[in-house]
Amino acid sequence: MPDEELLEEGVLNPVQPEIQDPLLKSLLAESEATAAPTEQEQTAPLSDPTDEVDCVVIGTGAGGAPLLARLAMAGLKVVALEAGPRRDPKTEYATDEKAQNFLFWNDERLSAGQNPVAFGKNNSGTGVGGSTLHYTAYTPRAHRGDLQLFTDFGQGVDWPFGMEELELYYEELEHFLGISGPTPYPWDPTRRKGYPLAPLPLNGAAQLMQRACQQLGVQTSPAANAALSARYYQEGIGWREACTNRGFCQAGCNRGAKASMDVTFLPLAESYGAEIRADAFVTEIERDAQGRVTGVVYEQHGQTVRQRCRHLFLCAGAVETPRLLLLNELALTSGQVGKHFMAHPGMQVWGTFEEDIRPYKGIPGGLISEDTHRPKDADFAGGYLLQSIGVMPVTFATQMVRQRKLWGQPLRDYMRQYNHVAGINILGDCLPHADNFLELSDEKDARGLPKPRLHFTAQENEQRMNRHAEKLMRQIWEAAGAKDIWAFERYAHVIGTARMGLSGDDAVVNADGRAFDVPNLYICDNSVFPSALSVNPALTIMALSLRTADKFLASLRT
Amino acid sequence: MPHYPEGTVRTLLQTDLVTPATRAALNARLDAPAHYEPQFFDADTYALLRAVAARIFPQPDREIPIELAPGIDKRLLAGTADGWRYDAMPPDREAYRLGLGGINQAAEAQFNQLFVELDAAKQDAVLELLAAGKAPGENWVQLPQNRFFEEMLAEMAEGYYAHPLAQEEIGYVGMADVPGWQRIGLNEHEEREPEERAAGDK
Repeated sequence: MPDEELLEEGVLNPVQPEIQDPLLKSLLAESEATAAPTEQEQTAPLSDPTDEVDCVVIGTGAGGAPLLARLAMAGLKVVALEAGPRRDPKTEYATDEKAQNFLFWNDERLSAGQNPVAFGKNNSGTGVGGSTLHYTAYTPRAHRGDLQLFTDFGQGVDWPFGMEELELYYEELEHFLGISGPTPYPWDPTRRKGYPLAPLPLNGAAQLMQRACQQLGVQTSPAANAALSARYYQEGIGWREACTNRGFCQAGCNRGAKASMDVTFLPLAESYGAEIRADAFVTEIERDAQGRVTGVVYEQHGQTVRQRCRHLFLCAGAVETPRLLLLNELALTSGQVGKHFMAHPGMQVWGTFEEDIRPYKGIPGGLISEDTHRPKDADFAGGYLLQSIGVMPVTFATQMVRQRKLWGQPLRDYMRQYNHVAGINILGDCLPHADNFLELSDEKDARGLPKPRLHFTAQENEQRMNRHAEKLMRQIWEAAGAKDIWAFERYAHVIGTARMGLSGDDAVVNADGRAFDVPNLYICDNSVFPSALSVNPALTIMALSLRTADKFLASLRT
Repeated sequence: MPHYPEGTVRTLLQTDLVTPATRAALNARLDAPAHYEPQFFDADTYALLRAVAARIFPQPDREIPIELAPGIDKRLLAGTADGWRYDAMPPDREAYRLGLGGINQAAEAQFNQLFVELDAAKQDAVLELLAAGKAPGENWVQLPQNRFFEEMLAEMAEGYYAHPLAQEEIGYVGMADVPGWQRIGLNEHEEREPEERAAGDK
């Protein structure tokens, strides 16, 4: 940390270096005003309602929302605590990237390693609905082989169960959410059930990729997306309207056409009596002498509140979940909390075309190929899928300058070709590695809690996959007629950090999602993934969520 | 270089093709007052930031340039972040203070003048050194200059391309999405999408 003198140079308002966040400043100002000594603060009377609920669910994203609905439908008294706000997409969402920044988890995380991972808008959401408020709506199923990397390659780890445990839930989700996709699915033609809706129309980037892949003998198909290609009846909410090709999935759907949790599982849960408390940031998980969770403490609108519960479901995502466990020294005996952080290789290749593309229109991920799920010429374990990508101007400009470092007139000139730019990307498996992990740093955030630091370095397997994918994507874009082709190495999604396994010696939760150390604590989000999968994670997180609820409900009956 | 007719976005913003929330967000940027009094940086440092922004996004074509420094000053004052930071970087406020100071150090080492006193060509020469990671100056011992340049560039790019007039410049009209988009394939346009003009046409 630089010294005081240096800090004050050039600024009007020098601040304490460790305190940058507005919330913490106001908290400090308040505590100064009341001049409450620290000891008193700690013993300040805590609102302590005696009511105990059956289940508290922390987080309302893809991990928390489906199980919240399932538990409420089983007649349990359930409360969900969501750190972010509840907003009305129809009136409060703007079609403007910058105005929509409230959708992202913008508390600062520290990104370390050789390939520091971007958080915030890249992968981390907040608000009632969690990251599904900004997910692109890609909902491919994982493949059988994704769950048994170790068996097939001798690398990575196997999941503690096979595809038969997920298949029923995939089918249920595709029909409940109203997934638009191809039937039969080209890379899994023997599925028992097809998609309930036809695929969404292809935009310019998808058409270019389709054309080029046809020349190269790479099979493509319109992709499975959780956005409605036709009006659809949603249990618990009524009719949801069809997608109008706004292309704005990653910054919030204002029509309810995208199956985010706030228009699907959460209203369903509420219709069965679940209570969702927004702006509720959990700080403590309380236990009794036997180590069972007895309740949680959270901050809401400046108040500290306790909620007692018989069971706790921690569904806060693969950064906040392990952070809460570490802060509360909970479920740590395996030594696996925070370990094996994974991020999907998500390399993008961009090019400039003669054709008019207008990349802001249409579902961003219109076209898919899974021919590269297990490439014959691969020199790596696992595989990846290919997608066409649409993009909004601010996202494109900021990613482009980070990669190409264009500035001055060349920057403005390049961006004038925005309407002629199209991209493709991959979504690839990532092997767990000891060098990639989450820890608590010494630097404090607005709440006075340690910021998380995440170390990520693409290992040999990811590097080989990137090389394979970049070569193929460049070939595809050349065949499509692109000029000025450039690649952007990036990593998407936040996975691992509280892995599921067969033994408490090397895993945090068992195959049912229950913590080995704590009998009434369940974890369900991407943190429990033992391996990263070669597909986008949202659908599988939701499948795990329903499965976790069913396993828990079954345990109550025995 | 393709360009698009002027006034497209301004006109669209007055129609019901744009939602009230979208219009409010974009009009706030269009109507931002021309003069901004810095609240985080002192006057000299703010002038330096403006001078750097004017070379990152030169706007000789605009009578009134899109100002990028106010957004940065406001953000640093508020202390808001975008969810992550390179671990190798100090917190944003220190990064900007050190980085801008470092740009002046580089200007003085190369040309014996402050950055704001240099002509455009010399200012560009200093920024080229920074972009290449070769800028001289003691501040760069504490601040990785490639990361500082990347972060500053990304923040300025976000500020610029979030502005309705910059969106007009690149032919983006995605904000006018109330009716949705039906003609989304290659070379397909809706009536409200501006047609690009060849260089020289107005």
